[in-house]
Amino acid sequence: MGSVFIEPFKKFFGQIAAFFPTLLIGLIIVALGLAAAWLLRKAVTKVSLFLNIDSISDRIGVMQLLQKSGLKDPMSKLIGQLVYWVVLLSFIIIGLNALKIPALEDLLTEFLLYVPNIIMACVILVVGYLLGNFLGRAALIASVNAGIALSGLISKFVKFTVFIIAVTMALELLGIGEDTVLIAFAIVFGGVVLALALAFGLGGRDAAKGYIDKMLKEKKEPDDIEHI
Amino acid sequence: MYNFNNSAKQLFIINIQGSKIEGVILRDEVNNKLKDIGEADILVGIPSFNNADTIAHVVRAVQAGIAKYFPDMKAILINSDGGSSDNTHEIVEKTIIEDFQPLLIDQRQNIFSKIVTPYHGIPGKGSAFRTIFQIARELNIKACAVVDSDLRSITPEWIDLLIRPVLQREFDFVSPYYLRHKYDGTITNSIIYPVTRALYGKRIRQPIGGDFGFSGRLAEYYLSKDVWESDVARFGIDIWMTTTAVANDFKVCQSFLGAKIHAAKDPSSDLSAMLTQVCSSLFMLMEEYSSKWKEVTKTDPVPLFGFQFSVGLEPVNVNVERMISMFDLGIRELSELLKEILSIESMKELIEISSSEPFNMPDDLWARIIYDYAISFHNKIMSVEHILKTLTPLYLGKVASLVTDMAASSANEVEERLEALCQAFEKQKSYLIERWE
Repeated sequence: MGSVFIEPFKKFFGQIAAFFPTLLIGLIIVALGLAAAWLLRKAVTKVSLFLNIDSISDRIGVMQLLQKSGLKDPMSKLIGQLVYWVVLLSFIIIGLNALKIPALEDLLTEFLLYVPNIIMACVILVVGYLLGNFLGRAALIASVNAGIALSGLISKFVKFTVFIIAVTMALELLGIGEDTVLIAFAIVFGGVVLALALAFGLGGRDAAKGYIDKMLKEKKEPDDIEHI
Repeated sequence: MYNFNNSAKQLFIINIQGSKIEGVILRDEVNNKLKDIGEADILVGIPSFNNADTIAHVVRAVQAGIAKYFPDMKAILINSDGGSSDNTHEIVEKTIIEDFQPLLIDQRQNIFSKIVTPYHGIPGKGSAFRTIFQIARELNIKACAVVDSDLRSITPEWIDLLIRPVLQREFDFVSPYYLRHKYDGTITNSIIYPVTRALYGKRIRQPIGGDFGFSGRLAEYYLSKDVWESDVARFGIDIWMTTTAVANDFKVCQSFLGAKIHAAKDPSSDLSAMLTQVCSSLFMLMEEYSSKWKEVTKTDPVPLFGFQFSVGLEPVNVNVERMISMFDLGIRELSELLKEILSIESMKELIEISSSEPFNMPDDLWARIIYDYAISFHNKIMSVEHILKTLTPLYLGKVASLVTDMAASSANEVEERLEALCQAFEKQKSYLIERWE
């Protein structure tokens, strides 16, 4: 009778005893990961400072983007942190793999396959944001120099179009509602264009007339200055 | 085509249509043809692009100038063309003065050669000049001149005035001095002349005149510089030539050429690009010669040759209202960018000006604005093209202000007004030096 109760406990403790070395190996791997991540964070932060990454990222507008999302640390520190977590996460995954639990292994494999998509999506979003800002600014300056009164609107339109395209691409990459996002984007984009066309056609008749009259008037008053 | 004419004038034309210049080395084909010429004393370069209507007059003036003033010298005319589609190069080839008697010139000219060649590289006046410099070096030229291909007012005397100071007075660089309408040359008057004068201490009135004389020595020096992928290859060439000569202590003078009249063109069509290219070169040179201009504390007059006279100039229509509205639009829409480029005080003053009546932009403020742009360019606070292009509306504001100021002024009063502007730039130079580092 006693053996009926004792046997499961024996088996349980036996399994724990058998699992203990594996767990110890996993923990050692994680501990090594912590040390490696800490060392690499220090090294990468120092190299980033040496390469003047902080002022470069400030100049190209990456810092503005990060500050808007609540990250106040300098870029060199952020890169160091990123390296720290990537290294640590890698070691944790290796450590978990060392435990040889089938369900955990499958989950980790799926996660690992998805990680590149997440990284690429983040890169697309950052590039989209920067490109949107750059092209928006270029459109603003060009339209002001062409004397277009709606320069601000044109700039915002360019900026948001580029960013929306980037978001659509990122979501598609992550596999989130692939067709839905694309169709939604097409509907929204088409709707905006139609709305603008209607606004100019119906609401802006007087403005358009005034603009054309002004253009014609300016044509009658030529500017013959030779600037150079 | 290689045509040697054995007449008294000994005219021969070399057409190097297939030539290509890579880096600073001419192709063998070109070199071979230049070897046939050997050496020459004088070179006159004409950059062109679709100037069929005007270039014949320029070529005749050059040929007459050489025949009249330098009959004993071996001379060459180079047409460096940007791929014209209106038979500009055929016109250059065919244009010859057959009979010099109506010009009261004796038929005693030595050899006059003509080369028509396309240039390569970035399309622009600077790339055309690079080919001219290269050929000058190959032919061991003593004195060169370059003249625009759309000039209607060029006379044979221009060639004498641009070449003789080099040949007889040992000057290395001859800058033009023109009579222009008080509203013309506004980039020169409001930016280039005051900045060049304040920075380098030489009062060269037309630093971007475009028609220059220079020594073979200086042509070789120009060629040694690696600037041909920048805006120097475009409209920036003129200020680059002048500044390079001045900053490197070449001997500089001016020649009075009279009125400068171009073929009619739409002057506002590419204002922003023109302003960007010229200012880009100006600011790039400030980087290169910062140690030189920081030491300059006074300005000196530059010798002026030629017989000075006055002429009646055609009236120029100016739409001041449109310029002010462009300025207002710029202040309204570009304020976020301008805040990054300009100092807080300058920005505040600009906002005050945009709502003021009558419109007036003070000289001190304008000088600080230009220096702020130079500093922003130096520090690369954003894309340099974006920095420079935001200058256009502010520039139009200053032009509107100057035009209003000078509406009733005579030519002398205009020069006095511009003198005051130059002094403002000289006064504000300390502002620039303080912020440069």
